[in-house]
Amino acid sequence: MKKFLALAFSIALIPAICTAGGPPAAIQAGIESKDYKWNAQEGEKIEALKLKGSVKDGKEGYEVCGACHLPSGAGRPDGTFPQLAGQHTTVLIKQMADIRAGLRDNPTMYPFAKELTDAQELANVSAYIESLCIPAVHGMYEGTDAAKQVADGKAMYEKECIECHKANGEGVKDKFYPVLAGQHYKYLLRQMTEIRDGHRRNANPDMVKIIKKYDNTQLVAISAYQASLSMPGSTCKAGPAAKTSKKK
Amino acid sequence: MKTKLLFAAALTALTSAPVLADGAALYAEKTCIACHGKEGKKPLTATYPKLSGQNAAYLEAQMLDIQSGTRANGSSAAMKGVMHLVSASEIKEIAQYLSKLK
Repeated sequence: MKKFLALAFSIALIPAICTAGGPPAAIQAGIESKDYKWNAQEGEKIEALKLKGSVKDGKEGYEVCGACHLPSGAGRPDGTFPQLAGQHTTVLIKQMADIRAGLRDNPTMYPFAKELTDAQELANVSAYIESLCIPAVHGMYEGTDAAKQVADGKAMYEKECIECHKANGEGVKDKFYPVLAGQHYKYLLRQMTEIRDGHRRNANPDMVKIIKKYDNTQLVAISAYQASLSMPGSTCKAGPAAKTSKKK
Repeated sequence: MKTKLLFAAALTALTSAPVLADGAALYAEKTCIACHGKEGKKPLTATYPKLSGQNAAYLEAQMLDIQSGTRANGSSAAMKGVMHLVSASEIKEIAQYLSKLK
């Protein structure tokens, strides 16, 4: 009985815990639920996707993001913060909306997701980020066996990842498949592991099906290869003159 | 002996003097600024604390507790995600820097 009471008490506490440091909205059922529908076309995401983002206005809105993701969008090589520059607006809008909707668990992002509520502003900031060139230098696999890892990863990538994420890691904008080129190795590894293990709850079930069979060693190799990808024409050129590669 | 002492004193002065500057750089570089605002004066939301002028010992204790997970209430989950970016000595420097702000 005592045990039951303690359990009941702790269950009663859950909502309180969730709202204190929780996502802006209540936690939503994700990949763990059988009713989960990936990328359901609903809510603020649709609104922001329909709007034309202004790169110029987005630059201002991005300032607060830049404190962690850096003004260049490069994030951190240790993978704490992902590289954002050049990412598809569709992907950026979806991820932001998912975090706010309680579908992607990211406590560090919650306060910012809470702030950026205006659909037009979200479209603007996304347009600005997409317009940034992808920094040439980022976190790579650094072991002495890097060449072998990259080669092993390439073989696996070309078998199963390439169909959606494409040969240079450019993804598919209108399908919400992210750019992988220029992303930090450690971030890629962490996301793939979380997607495989069901911790990234807004994951695409089709990807989960594919990635389920890969063990940790294989994910290391695939991440090593992905981090080595580059998209010609989207990568920043040397020198301060080339700040943006794509104009909208 | 005297010169040795002098040298040690100079070295201490050299290593302890730039604490403020280092703390300020760390405060920006380790992303504290993103949520707590410039000089810890303008937090992102009303539920985040102002840090400017706070006691160094309190700041240090809270940072260490959030880092270790001992403190997990309120919005500390948001901060836990970045606490691996700082070492104990860097925490001390950030605390020193913030406590001296007015």
